[in-house]
Amino acid sequence: MKRITNMVIQKRIVTVFLFAVIIIGIILFRLGYVQLIWSDFLIGQAEELWSRDIVFEPERGKIVDRNGEVLAENVSAPTVMVVPRQVTSHEQTAKSLADALDMPYDAALETIKKNERIVILQPEGRKISEEKAIAVQNLNLDGVYIAEDSKRYYPKGPYLSHVLGFSGIDNQGLTGLELSYDEQLSGTEGSLSFYSDAKGKKLAQKADKYTPPQDGMNLQLTIDHKVQTIIERELDIAVEKYNPDSVVAIAVDPDNGSVLGMSSRPTFNPGNYQEIAAEVYNRNLPIWSTYEPGSTFKIITLAAALEENKVDLLEDEYVDDGSIEVGGTQLHCWKRGGHGHQTFLEVVQNSCNPGFIVMGQKLGKEKLFSYIENFGFGSKTGIDLQGEANGILFNLERVGPVELATTSFGQGVSVTPIQQVMAVSAAVNGGNLYEPYIVQALLDPVTGEVVDKKEPELKRRVISKDTSEQVRNALEHVVALGTGRNAYVEGYRVGGKTGTAQKVGKDGRYMENNYVVSFIGFAPANDPEIVVYVAVDNPKGTVQFGGTVAAPIVGTVIGDSLRALGVEKQDGGIEKAYQWPDTPAIEVPNLIGASKSDLPEYMISLQIETLGEGDYIIDQAPAPGEKVEEGSKIRIVLGDK
Amino acid sequence: MQNRFRTDGVDRLLVILILMILLIGSLMVYSASYIWAEYKFDDSFYFLKRQLLFAGVGVVAMFIVANVPYFQWIKYRKWIFIGCIVLLIAVLIPGVGMVRGGARSWIGIGAFSIQPAEFMKLGMILFLSGYLVNAQEKLTEFRRGFVPPLLIIVSIFLLIMLQPDLGTGMVFILTSFLLLFVAGARWGHFLILGGFGVLGFLLLIISAPYRINRITAFLDPWQDPLGNGFQIIQSLYAIGPGGLFGVGYGNSLQKYFYLPEPHNDFIFAIIAEELGFIGGFFVIGLFFLFVWRGVLVSLHAPDLFAKLLSIGIVGMIAIQVMINISVVIGLIPVTGITLPFLSYGGSSLTLTLCSVGILLNISKYRK
Repeated sequence: MKRITNMVIQKRIVTVFLFAVIIIGIILFRLGYVQLIWSDFLIGQAEELWSRDIVFEPERGKIVDRNGEVLAENVSAPTVMVVPRQVTSHEQTAKSLADALDMPYDAALETIKKNERIVILQPEGRKISEEKAIAVQNLNLDGVYIAEDSKRYYPKGPYLSHVLGFSGIDNQGLTGLELSYDEQLSGTEGSLSFYSDAKGKKLAQKADKYTPPQDGMNLQLTIDHKVQTIIERELDIAVEKYNPDSVVAIAVDPDNGSVLGMSSRPTFNPGNYQEIAAEVYNRNLPIWSTYEPGSTFKIITLAAALEENKVDLLEDEYVDDGSIEVGGTQLHCWKRGGHGHQTFLEVVQNSCNPGFIVMGQKLGKEKLFSYIENFGFGSKTGIDLQGEANGILFNLERVGPVELATTSFGQGVSVTPIQQVMAVSAAVNGGNLYEPYIVQALLDPVTGEVVDKKEPELKRRVISKDTSEQVRNALEHVVALGTGRNAYVEGYRVGGKTGTAQKVGKDGRYMENNYVVSFIGFAPANDPEIVVYVAVDNPKGTVQFGGTVAAPIVGTVIGDSLRALGVEKQDGGIEKAYQWPDTPAIEVPNLIGASKSDLPEYMISLQIETLGEGDYIIDQAPAPGEKVEEGSKIRIVLGDK
Repeated sequence: MQNRFRTDGVDRLLVILILMILLIGSLMVYSASYIWAEYKFDDSFYFLKRQLLFAGVGVVAMFIVANVPYFQWIKYRKWIFIGCIVLLIAVLIPGVGMVRGGARSWIGIGAFSIQPAEFMKLGMILFLSGYLVNAQEKLTEFRRGFVPPLLIIVSIFLLIMLQPDLGTGMVFILTSFLLLFVAGARWGHFLILGGFGVLGFLLLIISAPYRINRITAFLDPWQDPLGNGFQIIQSLYAIGPGGLFGVGYGNSLQKYFYLPEPHNDFIFAIIAEELGFIGGFFVIGLFFLFVWRGVLVSLHAPDLFAKLLSIGIVGMIAIQVMINISVVIGLIPVTGITLPFLSYGGSSLTLTLCSVGILLNISKYRK
């Protein structure tokens, strides 16, 4: 037995005290850590706990045309919200909601049993129709609320779709203008945030903060809905008639570069983009697609040659015998046997390839290519839309005589539709190359006042006023007397140029019987108000020729648009050829046995209507040798030889 | 035998410390409780009034007890102890004991109800101090010295755990062991005791694995923010934003129903929120000074009974303070005990002040 001395007791008391000191030290250390180091994190968390934010959603801005016609707006689309703690019977409520919203019972039950303040039945309960909302309202379920919400609505359906794009379920822009102007359209969320006690009651001692939502700005486009409607209609007709791979159409105001209309096929309805393949809605063909332009490109060669005084349209002459030798290669005119003796105005009228090759040769490759670049080819136009392509030009060092020659009539370069439209606009508007644009202003959603305005942007002057006038005149001749006659509109002085462009196939060679046929037109020729371009890719059941397929479409679009825009008809234009006083009656040629590709040469003087499919002509009416008036219709039957 | 020692009055510093802590406690009970008081009783002073009543009665009782020579308690210690055991058994009987907060811990009527376990803490200190004076001779022996008081302690502990009241049980058992330790029990015996403790703890976890969640919740309260982690998270949301200087007296946000019963177990969180680290440091400092003075009383006490009695009382209060604050700042799992002198305490405040009265009386007698 060991005796416990008083010393032991005293030591034990001190030991206990030292224990206490250590523990108190630990406590102070921890307290300091929580209050001085961890506090920032804890403050952040606690603020979230104390403050209640009631979110106020802004309204997404509308998209309107230049006259205020609504192209995209919002419609009420209520959302069902459930406060789980207020639900009396979860099973009963889930069943009623599942029935009303057409959703699986299990999913509904799981959602409304969540331990959260507010839940949303995704996706069936979001942005529902008014009818469904009323149905849910009538269920009178405890803890179930209908919250106001909105959904994007495109009142005109499949209309200007690629330009407008669409926005998703959270009203966020996904493609087109909805995406590129998402920030301006979205506006900013507002909120009422206040401090509250744990029972949700507002705390008076802390001031609450209201931030009103800022509705998104309205987007005003340069688009004219009347012009756009005409374009959409004509494209639908073209699709119906020719079943093409694709169609592109653009209309711009050449005096400032503002786009009046733009569309393409295939198209889609932005309201149900979910059902559409991504490559359809992602490719805005008028700015995305690139191909060889064909003869429409000759306008550039012409403008350059005139500006450089290399050619006089009336004085200089050229004899076309059907082909021209360039760098050891025979390049053929599209017309077998050639156009014979022509002035250069007639070269333009007839779209004579050798004639344009000569113009190109007179310019030389440096000059020609510097004009091509000045006219904006080879680089983006800078239009305020996403997904624009550059196009491709020959590398100047690699341009030999053949490349120079083919470039002169539009082969071997790759361009976009919008590039052509802007270049031709510059050629006919007095020589000014503009940057194309489609959004002209941001409008205040409440007052309608202009917040921000886009001014037309002149890139540069490319040719003189005088040259431009000569180009207009030559192109008016093309429509009145030459290959573009199907675009003629009485009283509107249409000028323009056809194009039939070859496409390069997968094997790297030009494809047979598969062309992009196009026409670019403008009117009135003395002071152009509109430039319209239409390109039809691989039309079926017709002769694939720009003058046949695209020119009439452009003619209709120009005629109807100018009427819609209130442009007065005028006298003084060049009369269409068949009204020429001493036009002789012409003999119907024998087409039987001829190839389809031979047809274009006859179409200057005759209209041709085809029946059947095939590469060769097996029958015709009227019979060969009959005399008919110039411009009469010849019906041919196609078949295999 | 008291004549052999100086009896030159109570330790005045101890009295001043107690009164300061009580003053701070009353101010903080008011600040922490008026929201609840207004909500529950339509009287924002409801808890303050009662706190002042119990503190006033307690201070009077403290001075009365301070004038009762401590050795008088030796005579009554057994009767007090037996009375406590009777109360502790009675409280378990449905109809006699009242259930509050999931435990059958209360006995009596309304405001005059008491917690027998609270009385038992002091009763045990009195009983054990006397017992150990007599048993000191054989205390170093395991079977004859160490085990008998251990059996008494564990039995009473199990009785408390039948309510169940883990918080009071912990304070009770730690205070009792502290007395055994100071009285001279062997380190080795405590090691054996510790071994049994670990074994019991493991058995408890194996038999009911869900309990481990309750215990680990304090390590990462965000694992279960609405369950086991709830109180500790709410407590940290009060302490953290307090920072160095606090949000100012009366400006706590966590007392707005976020922190459950902020005037009670978690009052230190409100102190830390409103008065900051500086305020928390100050309060802990006051307690530290109290412990220091208490330990001096024990060191200078004239005999073993006085030494054990005084260190038992100081230890009981200090252990309760440490456990409470450690819970509030997330150092240990939530146990559910009040902060002495500061929490709104009712009858237990009066009782704690009575204990301090005994301590003050002992402080009069110095070697």
